[in-house]
Amino acid sequence: MKFLYKINRNHLILFTAILLISSVAGFYILHHIILNATKESLVEKETLLIKQINETGEIPNLYPVIEVKKIDQLSDEEPEFKEILIQNDVEGELEPYLEYSNHVKINDSLYSIKLRQSIFENEDLVIILALSLFLIISVSFGVSFFISKKINKTIWTDFESNLRAIERFNFSDNKKIELLESNIEEFDRLNRVINVLTEKLIADYLSLKEFTETASHEIQTPLSVALMNLDEALQMDLNEEAFKKILTSINALKRLSALNQSLILLTKIENRQFKADGDLSLNDLISRKLQEFSPLFESKELDVELKYEQDFILKMNDQLADLLFNNLLSNAINHNLKGGSIQLVIRQAELIICNTGDPNSLTDDTIFDRFTRGNSKSFGLGLAIVRKICETHHLEIHYTNDKLHCFTISKDF
Amino acid sequence: MKLLIIEDEIELLISINNYLVRENYICELAENFRKAEEKLTIHEYDAVLLDITLPDGSGLELLKTIKKFQLKAGVIIISAKNSLDDKINGLDLGADDYMTKPFQLSELNSRVKAVLRRRHFNGTNIITFRELSINTDGKSVTVHGNELTLTPKEYDLLLYFMINKNRVLTKEVIAEHLWADNIEMADNFDFIYTHLNNLRNKINRAGGTNYIKTIYGMGYKFSEP
Repeated sequence: MKFLYKINRNHLILFTAILLISSVAGFYILHHIILNATKESLVEKETLLIKQINETGEIPNLYPVIEVKKIDQLSDEEPEFKEILIQNDVEGELEPYLEYSNHVKINDSLYSIKLRQSIFENEDLVIILALSLFLIISVSFGVSFFISKKINKTIWTDFESNLRAIERFNFSDNKKIELLESNIEEFDRLNRVINVLTEKLIADYLSLKEFTETASHEIQTPLSVALMNLDEALQMDLNEEAFKKILTSINALKRLSALNQSLILLTKIENRQFKADGDLSLNDLISRKLQEFSPLFESKELDVELKYEQDFILKMNDQLADLLFNNLLSNAINHNLKGGSIQLVIRQAELIICNTGDPNSLTDDTIFDRFTRGNSKSFGLGLAIVRKICETHHLEIHYTNDKLHCFTISKDF
Repeated sequence: MKLLIIEDEIELLISINNYLVRENYICELAENFRKAEEKLTIHEYDAVLLDITLPDGSGLELLKTIKKFQLKAGVIIISAKNSLDDKINGLDLGADDYMTKPFQLSELNSRVKAVLRRRHFNGTNIITFRELSINTDGKSVTVHGNELTLTPKEYDLLLYFMINKNRVLTKEVIAEHLWADNIEMADNFDFIYTHLNNLRNKINRAGGTNYIKTIYGMGYKFSEP
């Protein structure tokens, strides 16, 4: 929910609540005031009436407003007010009146006096109040909406552009985030915190990057020396046993070197050091890969089938895409049976790669963990790299083992 | 052909030197930036092997010196950094090739020869061994003067063997050369057999001799019978 929307919504709720409460209160207060004023005016009229009767001896009667009767006996009833309804002859409906009744003695005669005054209908009062309530709500909300929009245009634009700058931030650009000063204390404080944090992050990122590259260098150099010397030793006139020993050592060192490179690669992927090159058609890539891997398919007599429904377009670094499918295809070959098959399906936003293989191999997602290697001779890093590449590219990968071993890669929405 | 090898790891420097001297190159060595720069400004070389991580300077800086003083020299960068940025920078600055440590001497030899061919023979070079002859310009092979039709992989295989003659090449080394990085995940390299046997059969049928010897089933050597 947008900040402005939320503020406006809260304002609206608050205004409505305040006005509802105040109008209910207002109704009662207004009612009370009107009633009191009417009572006063009725008592005043009585005084005038008594004065008139006293002076002129006439008994005025004006139904329903004035009703005076001569009575014989003075009852000890107190003067009282009550609200009554009287049929209105003009409009033909019942209308509320306030009635004041009293017994008085004027010039030795006894009179019963009933004075009435029409009061507001409750209905009318509610309608007037509701109308004014609606008017006040819409005017005040309109004004507040206009003001917050105005504020949004001035204050929030800097904030919005800073937000966009943060969203665009990428470690591999090696650029600091440029944040605008807004002269608002809270925002500037936030900017300072973000600057400090990103500077620290960039520094850490660079030192980690440097470390992985230095580590790679430091390990590969002695490995190179050992491998070169062993390669030279291999060229000497050797008996079979010595040849095999040297060859085994060479292969072991090469595995060590590959392991080192794979671990460094995993770190690099985790650090998002690979920038996406652009849109990549999986159909093109897979077709190329199948061509490249054909000698490996042939040597294991594998039947490879590619079902193409719709192209799956990905934004990915070319090198990583290559690596992803090298690892997936190598996996499908190395864990396959001789004479088995590999099936690939490409759909919009989905790729499935299935292979025949040993049914008793790994069955769940632990297959992606580092150094989980099943029956393979590898280090078990291939699929860890696959998962890491997927994770850093908003892709989901799942493994299922039901007759066929299947990996499904799909877009993670 | 005169080469300059720039590498700070002395043992590696000596191994590369010994090997290339045996391959009949004249080699000069530099183990740091200062020495390398001095040699590059005084002498003339046909190719330079350049390690880009030197203790007293960056090899990429030396690349600029090479481009200034050694117009004829082909440059192969040797780096322990498997970093794409360095590779792109290096190639942008005019290096001919980029190799990541660790590498095989046979692979180095093949790359040096390729760079020398491009730089000094205008891409044309005839490599002959007895009745076999490869013209690297048209990628054509002849046996006793008759054209032999090979697939691209078979051609690469034969060229690699002829450049590295008298050298034991293991299946892994051959696979790495022919299929580069994609093959490193393979569990076994038996598929090399198919290509190798096809190549041997084609040469035999054209009246050539089989110079590719199998060594204990693990490696191969191209040499005099």
